[in-house]
Amino acid sequence: MGMTVSGGGVKAEPNVTPMIDVMLVLLIIFMITIPQINAGFTAVPPEGQNLKPHPEEEGDQVLGIDDQGRYYLNKNRIRNEDLEALVGEIYLKEREDYIMYVKAHKDLEYVKVVDALDRISRSGVRVAALITDQTPNTESLVQSDRIMPGSK
Amino acid sequence: MSMSAPSGGSSLNNDMNVTPMIDVLLVLLIIFMMIIPMSRKAIDTQLPDPTPQPPSTQVNPDQIVLEVLPDDKYAVNKEPIEKAMLLEKLKAIYDPRPEKIIFVKGDTTVKYSAVIWAMDQARGAGVKVIGVPPK
Repeated sequence: MGMTVSGGGVKAEPNVTPMIDVMLVLLIIFMITIPQINAGFTAVPPEGQNLKPHPEEEGDQVLGIDDQGRYYLNKNRIRNEDLEALVGEIYLKEREDYIMYVKAHKDLEYVKVVDALDRISRSGVRVAALITDQTPNTESLVQSDRIMPGSK
Repeated sequence: MSMSAPSGGSSLNNDMNVTPMIDVLLVLLIIFMMIIPMSRKAIDTQLPDPTPQPPSTQVNPDQIVLEVLPDDKYAVNKEPIEKAMLLEKLKAIYDPRPEKIIFVKGDTTVKYSAVIWAMDQARGAGVKVIGVPPK
């Protein structure tokens, strides 16, 4: 303790605590984002205005359809012919909800999307939530959409 | 400069060091700025009942079917309507109606985004339930 009180310098060693704080947080950010970036599934959802907020929750099932019409179940590539079987494993049993999120590329032909919707409906999905991006600087005209559920 | 010189006995620095706190708060701010656009939004659609129904599903005369046709054309119950007029037309239909149900049917050649646009307009006109008819 006596060593720090030396001459004119009050503290000789640099204070590294803020740097470590920032580094740790950056590390956490990268740990969260990198798997999402490298997931391989990229689809640009269409844009819309009157959308219902669906905060992401544990246990949500997301069907992705990329610009080539390939299917991804929760970001894992699946063979197109396996769609019914894999979705059926999840939905053809007791569940709290029968909602599936569908994130499809905006320039896809609609037939490919209806085709997927038809097939997951046979596997027990009742509601398909078509993921859409909010057009910047717009707000939903529907009153109930403006209350963000789960916002903290 | 003379003020910064240590004055008290044991405490070398009297003012609180807020730098780490500001660092952490700024980083939290950045995190929240990244998370807020991630709050997902979607349009809920009801899928058709897969149990094959007898063809006796009489066409309910009351139901509204919005068709999305090629070349950015739209039709409400087979009646063509211009893109710009769609929202008004749907509003006129749904304002007095108690059942806020619509069926949105897309032509085989239209783009997904055109159908989403139509569903979006329908929700804006007060529709609560969007049905997707099977192909």
